[in-house]
Amino acid sequence: MSNNWLDKNTFHYSDFKDLNRLVAEKEKKGLKISLCLPTLNEEKTIAKEIIIMKSELMTRYPLLDEIVVVDSGSSDQTREIARSYGADVYQATDILPQLEQFKGKGENLWKALYITKGDIIIYLDADIKNIHHRFAYGLLGPLLLYDNIRFVKAFYDRPISIGKKKMRPTGGGRVTELVIRPLFSLFFPELTQLIQPLSGEYAGFREVFERIPFPIGYGVETSMNMDIYEKWGLDVMAQVDLDRRIHRNQDTKALGRMAFVILKTFINRKIRLGLIDLKDDLYDEMIQYNLVRDQYEPDIFKIEGYERPPIIEIPDYREKFNVERPEVQKYLEA
Amino acid sequence: MNNFREQLADLVDQIRSLREIIITNIVLIGQTPAPTFREKKRSKLFMERLAEFQVDEITTDGYRNPIGIIRGTDASKPPIFVLAHMDTFYEKVHPLNYMIKADTITGAGLLDNSVGVGVMTSLPAIFKKLELKFESDIVLAGTIQSIGKGNLRGVRHLLKTWPTPIRGGVCIEGIELGRLNYYSDGMIRGEIGCIISDESKRLSEYTPNAIIIINEVINKILNLKLSQRPRSRIVIGRINGGANHGRLAPEANLGFEIRSDSYRVVKDLFAEIRDIVEGIGHRYEAEINLKTISNLKAARLKHNHPLVKEAAAVLNALGIKPVTKPTESALSIFLSRKIPAVTLGVTHGENRYKDNATMEIEPMYKGIAQIIGVLKAIDSGVCDEQ
Repeated sequence: MSNNWLDKNTFHYSDFKDLNRLVAEKEKKGLKISLCLPTLNEEKTIAKEIIIMKSELMTRYPLLDEIVVVDSGSSDQTREIARSYGADVYQATDILPQLEQFKGKGENLWKALYITKGDIIIYLDADIKNIHHRFAYGLLGPLLLYDNIRFVKAFYDRPISIGKKKMRPTGGGRVTELVIRPLFSLFFPELTQLIQPLSGEYAGFREVFERIPFPIGYGVETSMNMDIYEKWGLDVMAQVDLDRRIHRNQDTKALGRMAFVILKTFINRKIRLGLIDLKDDLYDEMIQYNLVRDQYEPDIFKIEGYERPPIIEIPDYREKFNVERPEVQKYLEA
Repeated sequence: MNNFREQLADLVDQIRSLREIIITNIVLIGQTPAPTFREKKRSKLFMERLAEFQVDEITTDGYRNPIGIIRGTDASKPPIFVLAHMDTFYEKVHPLNYMIKADTITGAGLLDNSVGVGVMTSLPAIFKKLELKFESDIVLAGTIQSIGKGNLRGVRHLLKTWPTPIRGGVCIEGIELGRLNYYSDGMIRGEIGCIISDESKRLSEYTPNAIIIINEVINKILNLKLSQRPRSRIVIGRINGGANHGRLAPEANLGFEIRSDSYRVVKDLFAEIRDIVEGIGHRYEAEINLKTISNLKAARLKHNHPLVKEAAAVLNALGIKPVTKPTESALSIFLSRKIPAVTLGVTHGENRYKDNATMEIEPMYKGIAQIIGVLKAIDSGVCDEQ
């Protein structure tokens, strides 16, 4: 395996800090850009994300055309606060309400495709405590300046020194290093060049996102990497070092459930691609144990792993975005 | 000037329309730690932000105070200074996280003085939006080493070495909206430290206890006679010492402040405290010492100085009730150098010195309008006639 992609398609956000250049490129190409923030009880962080993005990338530099919040039914003030700072706020259940309803980050991202207007969509988690506009312009840079790049993923510093002044990240979090990286190494060694394949921040062209399925929960990042890689190859992908990201730390049990969903998504993908053949169906319960008064009691989480089809297959979407183009027909027939 | 004052209330809405830019500046500045003597990162960010807002000249003085200059229309007029101190009492150096809600912002060091610096950083964008021009250059100065042991070194150096006369100054503090400071008390902050050495433990019949010795000092200080005229007072502000519950305290420290509207009285009181400390040191055969942390001479503008009158009129025009009290801030350095200046507060807030320091967002827009009103007053010449 060559590391050519890692050298060629890995950037640092500071490569794109000339925002006037990005604005000029956006205008030259006649593109619209949407920022989507999926939320569930994010009242502590949502306002900061909206304000900083609006100040820096809408008021000062017209890079973003809209900021859209898609909420999974927060019980706190998330929606009210987001609305008060001028974001377009939707409840996920109000989007395409005629479809069966699911709850999860992937569901919000998928539905965002229906209500956003952008040719490029930036997805940022809404729990970033040290939010900075680099999170958005860093992801936009490669999409605007390199014609071959259609999807960009973020990665962050967990720095080690590789020279007198140079620092580089070592890799991802626990689930990445213990689950995803071993899987990629076994089945898709090229994808190991993604430093943090599970990072929740990425951006891409609508034509990419509308043609891939979206698992409704944690598996969305895993499936996205694999599907884009399978459909278009690694060269349409890039990754950007966004420096440091501070967010909520999750306990080991929560990470275990995340790993379960990711493994299931991965295996299902392999089956669908005809790369492995399982004799039985996979179970959909994650079983963890708690010690209660000297007894081990099971804690069972049912995680069914629903998946939304590529949204271009939804007639309402095709109608709204007027995508009855011949190549779309060809795609649908295929 | 009256005309401009009448327009101030209308400016508030226009300032509010820049809400995102102003809050972003406050948050980005505030989340960058700047303990006294370690303000470098915040200074760099302040200068970067000014550069992004296309301020005409951005530099540092010989003491590394970061400065931005917005050029005025009349090169013959001396500059007007806007000043906010960069450093915070908050000692941590890792990035801080601020929280914004619908009406408030919360974060450590916010009120003293991230709001002030954030608002000052936003002034170029606000001037542009309001299409405001000034005859004088406007110097935006973020002074370093202000708090505590910093002893206002940054502003002292800046004003001492500034090469031209200065027309007037406005110092910005986070809270409280309505403060109109135009005089400062004379002040000395001191620390008394007591250490029980191994030698004194050996030589004394009874092993001394540092906390008890400091307690003795406090009792003696409380017996000092404080004059009513000139006003004077001593604040016992901070104390710490000891190791654990069951051990005689090997060391203890006391922080205090003497204030008076006469600096001579302050010095006399400090000399009396020095005598107390020496006396108790001999009596207990303990190592006890007195250090000066910072000091200020008393200085003031007259209450009928045109700047004070005009500033009060600006606040009143915005429906803000002026509250005048002495301050021990950068203002005193302006005044001691005979530069007319006032200190203004930006907004209302609470928990000033806690991790959850919180400011109200809405009053800030009036707070900014008053700063602009006072700058316009100085630019129209209210400081020129004295």
